[in-house]
Amino acid sequence: MPALLPITIGIIVILILAFYLWPAIKSMQTRKPEIKKEIPLFTEEYAEELSIPVPRQTLEYVPELPRAYGMDRMALMVRDPYWLYAYWEITATKMEDITSRYGPGLWEISKPVLRVYDVTGINFNGTNANNYFDCSLGVNADDWYIKVAEANRSFCVDLGRLFPDGSFITLLRSNIVTTPRDTLSDRLDEEWMWIEGLYSKIHMGISSPLIIEEIQERMGKVPLGISSPGFHDSPVN
Amino acid sequence: MSKGYLCMILHAHLPYVRHPEHENFLEEKWLFEAITETYMPLINAFERLVDEGVPFKITMSLSPTLISMLTDGLLQDRYHKHLNKLIELADKEAGRTYNTSFHQSALMYQNQFNHSRDTFYRYGGNLVNAFKKFQELDRLEIMTCATTHGFLPLMMNNKNAVRAQIRTAVNLHSKHLGRHPEGIWLPECAYTPGIDPILKEQGLKYFILDTHGLLFASHRPRYGVYAPIFCPSGVAAFGRDTESSKQVWSSNEGYPGDFDYREFYRDIGFDLDFEYVKPYIHPDGIRIHTGIKHYRITGKADYKEAYIPSNAREKAAIHAGNFMFNRKLQIDYISSIMDRPPIIVAPYDAELFGHWWYEGPLWLEMLMKKIHFDQNTFSMITPAEYLKRHGYNQVATPCASSWGHKGYNEVWLCAKNDWIYKHLHVASGRMVELAENLYHAAGIQVRALNQAARELMLAQSSDWAFIMNTGTMTDYAIRRTKTHLDNFIRLYYEIKENRIDEGWLNYLESKNNIFPEIDFKSYADRPVA
Repeated sequence: MPALLPITIGIIVILILAFYLWPAIKSMQTRKPEIKKEIPLFTEEYAEELSIPVPRQTLEYVPELPRAYGMDRMALMVRDPYWLYAYWEITATKMEDITSRYGPGLWEISKPVLRVYDVTGINFNGTNANNYFDCSLGVNADDWYIKVAEANRSFCVDLGRLFPDGSFITLLRSNIVTTPRDTLSDRLDEEWMWIEGLYSKIHMGISSPLIIEEIQERMGKVPLGISSPGFHDSPVN
Repeated sequence: MSKGYLCMILHAHLPYVRHPEHENFLEEKWLFEAITETYMPLINAFERLVDEGVPFKITMSLSPTLISMLTDGLLQDRYHKHLNKLIELADKEAGRTYNTSFHQSALMYQNQFNHSRDTFYRYGGNLVNAFKKFQELDRLEIMTCATTHGFLPLMMNNKNAVRAQIRTAVNLHSKHLGRHPEGIWLPECAYTPGIDPILKEQGLKYFILDTHGLLFASHRPRYGVYAPIFCPSGVAAFGRDTESSKQVWSSNEGYPGDFDYREFYRDIGFDLDFEYVKPYIHPDGIRIHTGIKHYRITGKADYKEAYIPSNAREKAAIHAGNFMFNRKLQIDYISSIMDRPPIIVAPYDAELFGHWWYEGPLWLEMLMKKIHFDQNTFSMITPAEYLKRHGYNQVATPCASSWGHKGYNEVWLCAKNDWIYKHLHVASGRMVELAENLYHAAGIQVRALNQAARELMLAQSSDWAFIMNTGTMTDYAIRRTKTHLDNFIRLYYEIKENRIDEGWLNYLESKNNIFPEIDFKSYADRPVA
């Protein structure tokens, strides 16, 4: 009989412990994350250079990149013979500087504009461009695609404000880029070179105009669309 | 005496994907598939050609990221396991398809994978050794490629960044292949004037352009694409021949679409019962390509019939003969109007052969044999050899171009991926700043600087922009870009403010351990010893 008492107390203690610990144990189990079974997105597959298996749900962290770097900068890039791309960043400091110089009203009166200068063949100093045109920008744009009329030209772009009276102030100036050709060159005068010891260049006239014509004819329209890793319109698509 | 030359170039590249933190990472499968379906079959084809005494000549480019992955112990290990499982599956397939029309196909895979495993052992798990062997035998010329396959024209705002990509690549290539590369495969054949002087500085003698890159040069090339030109800097540029490309690439007229060839999209990973394929697909239960496919293209519609290996082999032979015949005609004609032997440059992505076009490596092997035994109008050549024989060439500046869709930069600069450049440009500017200011750094600073260079280069991989544009796996590409840039930014500040977190640096070094000999000083303006 007396042996029963410690046993009973023991059981009661265990029950009390269990009562308090049970919720904790339960919540530990439910805290394990579930591995989701993704239904494969397999509606489209392009036979591009990588064999691309179906993506799985990634639980990995994707960091966010800075929205701005605190530098006044403008970059101009070439996309193809007729398109440029520009992106820019203006710091708050610079904005204040402009405001103090032209008054706060300038932001309302003037429009944000990209002035695209054709600077082919010249040493651009801000005023001696061959010609230029303006592109109206969206209000909060910080990048823009610019269409140009002619291939194989050099350009420089200003980000600025255009006033109703036609005056223009420059906020940022880009680097200079040159767009590529989109046709055969007209320059048929040839220059030749030996690589070993860089032999003197010999100028040759058009000794075989026939070749050029033949090749042109055979080439016809040069298909630019031959893409790399292929099968753009493949039957296996 | 041959009237002309054929120069076939295979560009082999994969972006760097290595995730030691996951046992079974989906994107690592890209490498395993490429090895099993492209590199092994090519190596085996080359071996047979050598055994049979066929003096073939092929040019290949091996990108540094690919070389790094092929020589990485962890990935070699994982590949080995992958191959074992594949053989297991192939064995099961051989059993399952017994007495059905799919049996021949199953036996073929069984044979192929076992042969691959033998090959793998023979080269000690390092396939770069295989390519090196053929290089030593003078059968293969191996070009390098920009370190992480960066899209160089859109990096040219910072020449030091371009130079670092080239220099690191050349060093890595020399180390693994035992010799300085003569030529470089510009990623995506993307060129813009200004790149070639950098190539020259690093001792490179030639690169490859898409057709219009050469044709639209500053001075009209006298020989069209049938001879290279020298850039004013002295580096030679070869241009792709359209005709030979079309025969292989073209969806309508090209060989790979032939109805007897293997259908890519009927993989047993998708077709068969889930429980059966479960151990061979992704552990999360996602169905993926296993590499075993039992159907042939059959027709343009969805209806597919069983793949018959012997029919496919016959077709490959016919197509090889056809290709050779067409090149003969082409060279016959062009050599008659040119006063020197024309060179037909035919570059392809290596992954076309075997992975997309299963019979590709076989076709290539047969082509090499036919060229040697069945004709003597033309011979195979590599670009470096051509330059040795014809060292006197026209000078012109090539046209900025790429072999991407539409021929210029659009694929890598469009709404889906243009946002990366404002970050990449700042990062490369900062890398140069660090390299200049800390040129004489020592100890942990050097480690951090080198790791920063790694992170920058990995972020610059053009593959990410490409994937973001083409649509599948965009999340992965975005994540890689942002992660590497984020790592770089953090390292930049830690280095600049002299508070490098060694624990985190160790972690990064082990995770993104590519290019052990990278030298941050490549980014500085001063010449590096």
